[in-house]
Amino acid sequence: MVVLMRYALTSLVLLAAVATGPNAQETQVIEITAERFSFNPSEIRVKAGTPLEIRLTSEDTMHGFHILGTDIDLELPKRGRGVASVTFQPTAGRYTFECSRLCGAGHAFMRGVIIATE
Amino acid sequence: MPSSTVENYLKAIYIGTNSLEPPQRLLPMGQLASALGVTPGTATTMVKTLAESGLVEYEPYTGVALTKAGLRLAALVTRRHRLIELFLVQVMGYSWDEVHDEAEQLEHTVSDRLVDRMDAMLGRPETDPHGDPIPNAEGMVKPQKKVQTLLTCPLDTTVTVTRVLDQDKDFLRFIEHHNLKPGEAIQVEERDAVADSVRVRGGNNRQLTLGTRAASKVLVQVVHVLLLFLLASPVFAQATQKAAAPPRTALSGYMDFHFNNPEFSDAQLDFHRFVLLVTHSFSEKIRFVGELELEHAVVEGLEEKGELELEQAYVDFLLSRSFNVRAGMLLMPIGIINERHEPPVYYGVERPFNDTVIIPTTWFEVGAGIHGEIGRGWRYRAFVVAPLDAAEFSAEEGLREGRQQGAEANIGRPGVTGRLEYVAIRGLTLGASGWSGRSGFQFRPVFDVPVSLAEFDGRYARRRLELRGQFSQVWIDNAGRLNDALALRVGVNPNIARVLRGFYGEAGYRAISNARFGEVGGFVRYENFDTQFRMPTGYVALPEFDRDAWVVGATYWPDPDVAVKVDYSLVRSRSSVVQAPDSFNVGLGWWF
Repeated sequence: MVVLMRYALTSLVLLAAVATGPNAQETQVIEITAERFSFNPSEIRVKAGTPLEIRLTSEDTMHGFHILGTDIDLELPKRGRGVASVTFQPTAGRYTFECSRLCGAGHAFMRGVIIATE
Repeated sequence: MPSSTVENYLKAIYIGTNSLEPPQRLLPMGQLASALGVTPGTATTMVKTLAESGLVEYEPYTGVALTKAGLRLAALVTRRHRLIELFLVQVMGYSWDEVHDEAEQLEHTVSDRLVDRMDAMLGRPETDPHGDPIPNAEGMVKPQKKVQTLLTCPLDTTVTVTRVLDQDKDFLRFIEHHNLKPGEAIQVEERDAVADSVRVRGGNNRQLTLGTRAASKVLVQVVHVLLLFLLASPVFAQATQKAAAPPRTALSGYMDFHFNNPEFSDAQLDFHRFVLLVTHSFSEKIRFVGELELEHAVVEGLEEKGELELEQAYVDFLLSRSFNVRAGMLLMPIGIINERHEPPVYYGVERPFNDTVIIPTTWFEVGAGIHGEIGRGWRYRAFVVAPLDAAEFSAEEGLREGRQQGAEANIGRPGVTGRLEYVAIRGLTLGASGWSGRSGFQFRPVFDVPVSLAEFDGRYARRRLELRGQFSQVWIDNAGRLNDALALRVGVNPNIARVLRGFYGEAGYRAISNARFGEVGGFVRYENFDTQFRMPTGYVALPEFDRDAWVVGATYWPDPDVAVKVDYSLVRSRSSVVQAPDSFNVGLGWWF
C-alpha cells in the first residue's frame, strides 16, 4: 500500500513537472534608454529563465551598463550612434545594474534592477 | 535514487540541449546516441522510459528535452561530475585530461554531503578545469554570457579562452600543449575557408593552425571589443565583454570656455570652468567620487580672480537599490542644474539666472545622508549638511555668498536637504526639492535666521524636443534683524529680502540631426527672478533686483559631448535708473 501511495505521489509530481516542463522560450527584448543620470525603465520584471535581449540606447554621452555579479559590462555608444545589446538569461533573483562609465556629476545615481521571478 | 544509466542519459541530454542554438530546444536522438556511444534505437528505447517517468519530454522523429524534474536531476549529477573533476585536479594533482573518466565513475557514488564539502573546500567554484559551469546545490547555473568560438570571434582581437568542449584525452593534451587552456589570452589571425583551418597566435606569441572542427570546440570571450556602429543609422552593436569589474579608477571632466559681450562694458574671454571628475571603486559597494573645479582659470592669493573648489568628494556605501549611504562633500540635490551641469546637457552659454541668484549653483556642502530608488522610478536623497551663513547673504545674489563650501564649516545647527524625483516615464523627469536650516551662527549673541527653500522642476526630452521649467522660492525668517545686525557690523544696510522667488521655462528643438555633421538646436527661455520679492517690515524692495530675461540662442553639437553655443540674453529690471545689461555670448563646452 505504501509502495502504491509513493508511486501515485511520484507520478503526480512527475506529471506536474511534465506539465510545467521547459517550453521553447522566446527571447524577450528589453529596451532601455540611458541619459544623465537615469536608466529608463529602471525596474524590469521578467520571468526567471527567460532569455533577454537587452538593447540600450544613450540619449547623450557614452554610458556603461554593468549587471553586478556578472561580467556583463557594455559601453553604450553616444547619442545617435547606435544601440548596444547583450543577452542575459536570469535565474530567479534581483540583479542590480548600473552605469559603469563615469558620465557626470550624478553618475552614481544611475542604477536599476532586473527582478526575475519564478 | 536514479540508476547510473538514467543519470548518464539525463546528463547527456542536459549537456546536449545546453549547446543548442535557440529556438531549437529538442536534442536530436542521433546526437544523443552519439554522445552516449549507443545506437539510436537503444537511445530511443531509454528515452521513452524516461518520458514515462516524467523526466524528459520526447517527440518522435524530433528529439528530446528535459522536464523540470529531469533538469534538476541532470544538473545535480553534472554538478557532482564537475566538482569531482576540479577536486581531482586541484587537490589530488591529477592532470585535466585524466579526470573525466574518474569523474564518470565517482559521480554516481558520492553522497551529496561529500560533494557539498568538496564545493566548500574548493571555494564554491563556478567552473570546472575545462571551463564548464558548475551548477549550485539547487541545480542552478550562474547566467552565462554569450560566448564565441574560434570560428566566430573577431580577428586580430585579444580573446580569453573560457571553455573547452571536448573531453577527449588526446584533444585536451593537444590544447594544453599549445597553451589554449581556459584563461589563456590568444588572437585569431586568419581563417582559411579553403583549407578549413584557423590560425591562432597564443600568449607565448607562437602561431598554431587548427582545423575548424577543433576550433569549434574552443570557446572564447572577447576581452575588449570596440563597439562597431555606423554613424548613419541605429544598428545593433556587439556587446563589449570586458573583465568582470568596472574600472577601479576613472577620470573624466568638462570644460567651459566663454566669450561674453555685455552691454555697458568691454567684451571678455573667460575660461570659465575646468573641472575634473575622478571615481574610484574600493569594491562594488564602496565608491568614491570627486569633482574639483577651477573657475576663471587663475587663483591668486588675496586678489580675487578665480576659484578652486572641491565640489564633490564623497564616499558612497551602496547597500541596496533603495537605501544607500553617502558622506563627504555633497552637491545639494536642488533644481535641474545643480546636479546636472555638464555644458553639453543644457542650452545657453551661461547657466540660467535662476540657478545663480535664487538657487546658488553650484551649491555644495559637507554632510552625510541617504539616497536610493524605490519601485519604478521614485528616487530620493536626504542629507544633513552644514548650514548657510546668513552673514554673507546679499540683496542682489540672495543666498549665494552664504555657502560655507566645506571650509571649516560651522555645523552647530546643521541644515537638512532632500529631493524626490519621478523618472518612470521615458523622457520625463519631475522633481521637488527643499532645503532648511538655521543660518545666524555668525552673530553674537546668536539669533535665529531660519532659511527655507522649496523648488519644483520638470524636464521632458523626447527625440529632438526638450522642454524644461523650474520654480523656486526662498524664505529668510528674521530678515529684518539680520539686516540690522549686518548694518551694525559693516556700516551699510544690505537690504536682504525675506522672500526670494524665481521661475523659468525653456523650449529647445534640435532642427538638424545629421550623423556626419552633428546636431543643431535652437532654444528660447524666459526667466523671472526677484531677490527682493517680499521685504521685512520697514524695508523697501530695490527694483533693480526684480528682473526678468529672455534668452534665445542655438547650440551646435559636432559630437554629443562637444557643444558650441551662441545666445543673446535680454535682461530687464523694474528700475528706471539702474539698467540690467543685455549680453551676447559665445561658448565652447565639452565633456570627456
